Amino acid sequence: MDLVWQAAVSGAVLGLVYALVALGLSLIWGVMDVVNLAHAEYLMLAMYSTYWLWALGRVDPGWAVPVVVPAFFGLGWLTYQLLVRRIVRAPLAAQIFATFGLLFVLRYGAFAAFGPNVYGVWRPGEGTVVVLGVPVASSKVAAAGVSVAAFALLAAFLRYTKTGKALQAAAQSREVALALGIPVDRMYALAWGIGIASVALAGVLLIPFYQVSPTIGDAFLLLAFASVVLGGFGRVDGALVGGLCIGLLENLLGTLVSPTFKFLFVFAAFVAMLLVRPQGLLGDVGR
Amino acid sequence: MTGRRLAAWLGLVALVSLPAWVRDSFFLNAMIHVFLFGAAAQAWNLVGGYAGQISFGHAAFFGVGAYTTAWLLSRQGVSPWVGLWVGAALATLLSLLIGYPTFRLRRHFFALATLALAEIARISFLNWEAVGAAIGLYLPLHYRNRFEYLMWDTKPPYYWVSLGVLALATAVVWVVDRHRAGRYLRAVEQDEDAAEMIGIPTRRYKLYAMGLSAGLTAVAGAVYALYVLYIDPYNVLASRISLLVVVIALIGGRGTVWGPVVGAPFIVLLNEYTRAWLGGRAAGVDFILFGLLVILVSLYRPRGLVGLLARPSGPLQPAVAGAGQDPPEVAPAAPGGDVVLRVVGLQKAFGGVQAVRGVDLEVRRGEILGLVGPNGAGKSTLFDCLTGFLRPDRGYAAVDGVGVLNQAPHRVAWVGLARTFQNLRVFPELSVWDNVLCGAEHHREGLWEATVREVPAAVQEEARELLRLFHLWEHRYRPAGELSYGQQKLLSLAMAVLRRPKVVLLDEPAAGVNPALVDEIGRLIRTLNQSGLTFVVIEHNMEFVVRTCHRIAFMAEGQVVTVGTPQEVQQDPRVLERYYGR
Repeated sequence: MDLVWQAAVSGAVLGLVYALVALGLSLIWGVMDVVNLAHAEYLMLAMYSTYWLWALGRVDPGWAVPVVVPAFFGLGWLTYQLLVRRIVRAPLAAQIFATFGLLFVLRYGAFAAFGPNVYGVWRPGEGTVVVLGVPVASSKVAAAGVSVAAFALLAAFLRYTKTGKALQAAAQSREVALALGIPVDRMYALAWGIGIASVALAGVLLIPFYQVSPTIGDAFLLLAFASVVLGGFGRVDGALVGGLCIGLLENLLGTLVSPTFKFLFVFAAFVAMLLVRPQGLLGDVGR
Repeated sequence: MTGRRLAAWLGLVALVSLPAWVRDSFFLNAMIHVFLFGAAAQAWNLVGGYAGQISFGHAAFFGVGAYTTAWLLSRQGVSPWVGLWVGAALATLLSLLIGYPTFRLRRHFFALATLALAEIARISFLNWEAVGAAIGLYLPLHYRNRFEYLMWDTKPPYYWVSLGVLALATAVVWVVDRHRAGRYLRAVEQDEDAAEMIGIPTRRYKLYAMGLSAGLTAVAGAVYALYVLYIDPYNVLASRISLLVVVIALIGGRGTVWGPVVGAPFIVLLNEYTRAWLGGRAAGVDFILFGLLVILVSLYRPRGLVGLLARPSGPLQPAVAGAGQDPPEVAPAAPGGDVVLRVVGLQKAFGGVQAVRGVDLEVRRGEILGLVGPNGAGKSTLFDCLTGFLRPDRGYAAVDGVGVLNQAPHRVAWVGLARTFQNLRVFPELSVWDNVLCGAEHHREGLWEATVREVPAAVQEEARELLRLFHLWEHRYRPAGELSYGQQKLLSLAMAVLRRPKVVLLDEPAAGVNPALVDEIGRLIRTLNQSGLTFVVIEHNMEFVVRTCHRIAFMAEGQVVTVGTPQEVQQDPRVLERYYGR
């Protein structure tokens, strides 16, 4: 029982980070109906950036946030302007292949630059914090806390600011938003900026306890898809709920049944969800 | 022509005899990879290129082929000649089990599902003790150099076997491409709804492409296992394989017979040789290039390298069909036929909006019935309910006594109801000729027949006559997307009537075309009607309706208000009030 409770707490912590990875994917998907297959590659790049800041500049990952996150906002913006803008209204296959090609460029760009080796940030003497009776590494607690804060911030932005509302309007109907004078193109670019910034934040939070290599995108992309589909795509709360569910599912079943099969359960749940309720737990049926 | 054919034969002879005069084993190894991954890419092409269902999980089928053959040989002593086909059958079965539920998913979801399923397959094999789990399977070496075991010490035999696998996959794709099945798959790729409406059972064809594709991929995987002599989940189930076959087909040209054949040497040789020249440190540099090429293909959408080599078609002749001709007035025939389409009490609501509130309608055999009414009267919703695109809440509708409601659109088409759409629904990348032939009868058309036979000559003759009648014959080889808007409207009409359905529903056939063509379309509808076809026409152009139709049904607020001759309806006070606000 103790073991199960422990698994649940650490699953929830991990799930909050998954949720942050899923958030950007879900936002971009919801706003312009483009699925970014290269999404997890940005996570990988952000982890490398944080690692090198630490390894070369002795910058603690905590202090890397104000550097890495704005830089990746810019990278997301740029990705939209250079590539995605040209395929927003293209046939589905062209959209899929555009971000598929981007995945190759980013992943193997990292391969060429950093090699196949695994890197991680090593912080000796890191303490633990007791959460709900379970000791958890302080970096993980920090990651979970920052993730929740980021979700709250984005939800407030979408709900209470004029720009946030314009973004939602652009998501609902491109034509109506255009007719109302909303600069849809700029809203799309903003969605990419925010989406890539949030996945970069997840990368910064992950690196103290998760090692990076050029191919980690494989697992994270599927985990993010699973989170988005489970919660309901295009919804901020959907990414949160989905991410938490995936984290819990992975850790609980991994502990109760077998750790080698933990991803199998997650992906099976993902496929089952696609078939039974593709609009997700929180999604409307009409979608 | 003979020069090109001679060159092709010489090239083939050179390719087959290559191991006789090239001894470089690195090169032969690279070519074996070219053939095997080219074959897998060719197989992917069937489902991802022709049918447009993008799979990122073909490594699963490759792995199933490799594992089945290797396991049967190493644990049971079964010859690979048998194991190969057992593996193909298992992969096909697996693909159908996956495809049957996931082909309901539209848009991105199918691609995501395949991504997850390949990962599930990899994790399963990684932990499955009976097939060696993470240790994998070694193929027993004492079977080497015996033809019945397909294993050798040297590379040339593998070279020929692999070339044979690529030839097999290409031959299958070639046969599909040349016959009806290929045409239907491409139609499904371009517009699934339109394909359904002309009677193509789209899900069946997607499963067909998927099953064939999985089987061929498994054959390539099996030969790969026999070549490398050792398999584990990292070398035959890796996501790298799934991605590689997609890249080969994409850059070579997806949806073309020769695309994967051209793409494979380009991608695989580049891959093998950069690895050799630049060493492990620079592994992946070539993949950056592939990624950039894939992005370029997605942005500019040529059909890959093959598409770049193809000759562009000539300039469009501006001939608007019928322009300048004096349309001979065809007197509407007196309709005295029995009821062919009967609609009783049909209702459909969207949330709180009652779009169709109890429609009763009788369409008589041999007549042209106009369906008019203000916007929002429920006319198109009625069509959608009748043709299976919407599920009505209540009511009954039948063609010659056979119910049509709540069925897949292709089943409705099989019963004898045809339809054109308000917005254009032709297949833009198919030729005009292929578009028309998509309209052939699909009821009782078997998959085998569709794969190996062309449409019967009699139907082709009818299609020819239709195109001549529609002034589209001279454009028959042109992609439909290059036609003018009006010509595309004519084409969609031709597609709907080719199989001589019992009732043809036309949704605004004259909207958005020039006045000369409006007259022409009216004349064509009357001509087709005189040959025995029954029409129901939604149209806002009252003049057109009055001149074309025998009877008019007036719809408003989701109900048929009145039915009668054009004169009667035009003078009906309820119509005047609702339509003209008088």
